[in-house]
Amino acid sequence: MTKSIVEGSQNVEVSIKLPPEKSPQEQLAIMEEYTQVHQDSLPLSRERRELNCLKVIYPRLFRSMKEQDLFAGRLDFLPIGFGCVTSLGGVGHYCVFNKLRDMKEQFNTPEEKARIDALYEYWTAHDLKALYCQKILTPDTTGRFIDCRHPFMATARLSGMMLHYDWLCEYGIDGLKEKIRTQLSLRPDNEYLQASLEALELFQTVVDELNARTARAQETASDSRRKELSLICSSLSLIRSQPPQTFHQAIQLIWLYALLAGCINYGRMDDILGPYLVRDLESGLITRQDAHDYLKSLWNLIENRRTTVNGRIIVGGYGRKHPAEADEFARLAIEVTKECRYVEPQFTLRFTKDTPQDIIDMALDSLGQGATYPTLYNDEVNVPAVMHAMRLDREAAEQYVPFGCGEFVIQGQSVGTPNTLLNLLKLLTITLNEGIDPFDGRHKAGPVKIPPADSFATFDELYDKYKELLDYYFDLSADAQYYSYEAMNQEVSFLFTSLLMDDCIQRGKALLDGGVRYLGGTNETYGNINTSDSLYAIKTLVYDQKAYRLSELVGAAAHNFVGFEQVRRQLLACDKYGNDLDAVDSLANDLFLYVANGIRERGIQKGMQYYLVVISNNQTNTEWGRQTAASLDGRLSGLYMNPANNPQGGADKSGPTAVLNSLRRFEAKYHGGSVQNIKFTPNMFNQNREKIKALFRTYFKNGGCHLMVTVVDRGVLEDAQKHPENYPNLIVRVSGFSAVFVNLERDVQDELLSRVLYDE
Amino acid sequence: MMNKKQNQTFLQVMEIERFALHDGPGIRSVVFLQGCPLRCPWCANPESQPLCPQLMHGGKSCTLCGSCAAACPEQAITLSDSAFHIDRGRCRRCGACVNACPNRALHFSSTTQSIDEILQVVSRDDAYYQESGGGVTISGGEAFCQFPGLLTLVQALKDKGYHLCMETSGQAPLARVQEIFPYIDLFLFDMKHRDSEKLREIAHGDLATIQANLEYICAQDPSRVILRVPVIPGFNDDPALLRRIADLAVSLGISEIHYLPFHTLGKSKYEQLEMSYAYSSQKMLTRQELLPYEEYAKARGLTSHIGG
Repeated sequence: MTKSIVEGSQNVEVSIKLPPEKSPQEQLAIMEEYTQVHQDSLPLSRERRELNCLKVIYPRLFRSMKEQDLFAGRLDFLPIGFGCVTSLGGVGHYCVFNKLRDMKEQFNTPEEKARIDALYEYWTAHDLKALYCQKILTPDTTGRFIDCRHPFMATARLSGMMLHYDWLCEYGIDGLKEKIRTQLSLRPDNEYLQASLEALELFQTVVDELNARTARAQETASDSRRKELSLICSSLSLIRSQPPQTFHQAIQLIWLYALLAGCINYGRMDDILGPYLVRDLESGLITRQDAHDYLKSLWNLIENRRTTVNGRIIVGGYGRKHPAEADEFARLAIEVTKECRYVEPQFTLRFTKDTPQDIIDMALDSLGQGATYPTLYNDEVNVPAVMHAMRLDREAAEQYVPFGCGEFVIQGQSVGTPNTLLNLLKLLTITLNEGIDPFDGRHKAGPVKIPPADSFATFDELYDKYKELLDYYFDLSADAQYYSYEAMNQEVSFLFTSLLMDDCIQRGKALLDGGVRYLGGTNETYGNINTSDSLYAIKTLVYDQKAYRLSELVGAAAHNFVGFEQVRRQLLACDKYGNDLDAVDSLANDLFLYVANGIRERGIQKGMQYYLVVISNNQTNTEWGRQTAASLDGRLSGLYMNPANNPQGGADKSGPTAVLNSLRRFEAKYHGGSVQNIKFTPNMFNQNREKIKALFRTYFKNGGCHLMVTVVDRGVLEDAQKHPENYPNLIVRVSGFSAVFVNLERDVQDELLSRVLYDE
Repeated sequence: MMNKKQNQTFLQVMEIERFALHDGPGIRSVVFLQGCPLRCPWCANPESQPLCPQLMHGGKSCTLCGSCAAACPEQAITLSDSAFHIDRGRCRRCGACVNACPNRALHFSSTTQSIDEILQVVSRDDAYYQESGGGVTISGGEAFCQFPGLLTLVQALKDKGYHLCMETSGQAPLARVQEIFPYIDLFLFDMKHRDSEKLREIAHGDLATIQANLEYICAQDPSRVILRVPVIPGFNDDPALLRRIADLAVSLGISEIHYLPFHTLGKSKYEQLEMSYAYSSQKMLTRQELLPYEEYAKARGLTSHIGG
């Protein structure tokens, strides 16, 4: 297998991971054992193989607790192992090849280096993602995620799984086992159910091991710490088999399960934990300070996993069984989030017309202090939108949860991983250059025949040709997404994940084997606004004003506008999306609808419950921009592209009401999430709070689905670029996620700086 | 018929600022009109003073390439090694230089807009005004300079039901104030000084006219006035004087007064107009320095506020 398929970065990684606790020698030995077990299990069923491999890493990769931990469970991962997502190793049986190769540096002897090489060799033929890539990638159209030379990228991963933790708490481990046994009695030969049962036994082994370790730690602990450790031991003893009775036990159980499942998003914790919280407070079992400390410890554990764009905890919204108790949890959680100022959990507030005003006010206070959380989701828009987009009834749609960089999934019921990514702008530059990508001179139009630019007699002829090229890529996209599920299903069952998803146990089938109730998916689109602004500039200057021939504009872009400054000036002077101007915003919306419907229809044809575009953003807009040629919105070659469906930084010149009016034009019922950013100075945001509230209320009442708010002082980000050492904790909203500013790459920082900051 | 007439009414508009937070209640759009009879030397928007659009030259983006000078049919622009210069007497405002500049370093301070165009822009934020109790504010320059177009504009806005504010220096014939009055919900009325001579000498203002206009409005309805006092060092930054202004407010039945601390944020505009700025070495006033004035106003029973 070629190096380009297996090597290279594979996910957005901004947060710096904690190094594994075990020595390099121990790590190597574990990876060898994992590999051996995998090899020995090849003749066995995938369920059995998965279980055998999991037994190699659990509980062995649990690292020791930290002094501040109020719950047991810190888990390392190695360059070889098992997982769901690339932010913690990889998907299924994985090998992170570049990290494995980097490990060689830690060894001195040729023998040890040779052992690494042997592992590398084995996994090139067995790493799940490599197998997927081998089948799907092409030299010029479909690239590996993240290889930005291509207009389209695809990957295999199982992102955004949020499980039925309510079942976990209701039935407990023994209760779940009982449910599986019931199904097994009907289908005694069902390998999947049998393996699930044993997976829960492995869970209990892990609990026992952690319990024993915690008990040992008590021997040398201080008095106060001993009390905490003793609480952890008693919680572990109980949740080993029984449903949790207390707030502490419930957190402990959910946390451990999420670790073993490799899930990095936690979902609607308010509805699950709220009743425990309120009951313990009312009975006097814990004080509010205790509850605060527990949550802070959980937040710290989540932060320490360092998954960059994940760690979602969602509070509020429709479809909760215990809204009053859940709101109590929400209040506590906002408090803790404001205090911690961590990048994770990605703390999210869903609100409705009935959300208590004090919760809204607390949320705005937290934002006003620069925490970037909570991100705000408007259920009045999103629930009906999800019903349409995902073809669900209201009850199911009420369980929507955002994850990653802004895409939705139905908690406990759907798979919605974004395994495909399209660069709409690169495809436009290809359309304008007879199928050749002007960035590297390679043909990337597949079978689509594209004539010279000047042969488009009308704007519609050009637009139609562009759509034809899009159609070709939509087909690639739907195939690649669907195949990612088939590829994963061939190799693994995701036992722990499947167990807490509708309807795996009832059907006796693993998640991707027909178990999950709603098999969905999402396709991230990039350069949306650069594309529609470019089209609008072409329409204006070439076809309406006839100031230029199309080839003249394309020629100027080919020179990155050097020597063509006047052309660029006119391109920049054309109206831009984000200023509440009908003509240019309508074109943006028209393009959005074409892309959204094209993807959605193909997903349905493929047999998926839903397959939706997500106008998300992470830093891929910047990374992909680096390898996208100059565009006819006036953007220079290599420059970042616009974030999500926000304007290119600085193109919106008409204030926040105008930009919000533009943002809300994209109807939510056609997408699976769309990230909308806004940035204020503390002075603007905090001194005019009532007017800011009215601004947000108006936006949300009129179709705004979502908002991510950054509050940062003018000059602070600039200063942080110059003196990063002074800003270790400066959190900014990149778009779909928050990050510590100084950990971002320079041009990602530049992109953030380019966005309009509203000040007085 | 009425609509047709409106279509034909044009105003010289410097800017329509959306999401304005300090020019009346709620979220507002502010229509800034060109032209002002006063010549306050601290003016933060000196380009607004003449009635016709002013060519502005943004120094930083100019590379002294000469495209503008070459394009000017009047030979009004000259370039030396380090500076751009325009002979404003010769400039016919044809815009050739603006179009020729590759660096977007030149622009005019205002454009001609029809009332329909203005209505179209302000109507984009109707929902925000309704939610916040906001509306539209007419500002300047001194908006009365553009009478009678101004009257047609406020009538058209009122037809649409907008809450209307007007920022004014009060320097206008009483008859115009009387005509405008029925349409304006709230005047943000400047009172800069109590000494006629000083006001005439420094700012070219006529206190008697201003006073008469203020008295007229207050006689109709003092609740429609917020008195605004720009506090300027060396001009009116004097406790006794500012107490007299607060006393005036009380005597006219006005209940709210705003003190606007002197700032130098308009400095770069003087450079863009090749004008000298009298306050370049003057420090900005802080909120703190205005607190005693606010305290006095509060003691007199006024609602007082520092900043707009």
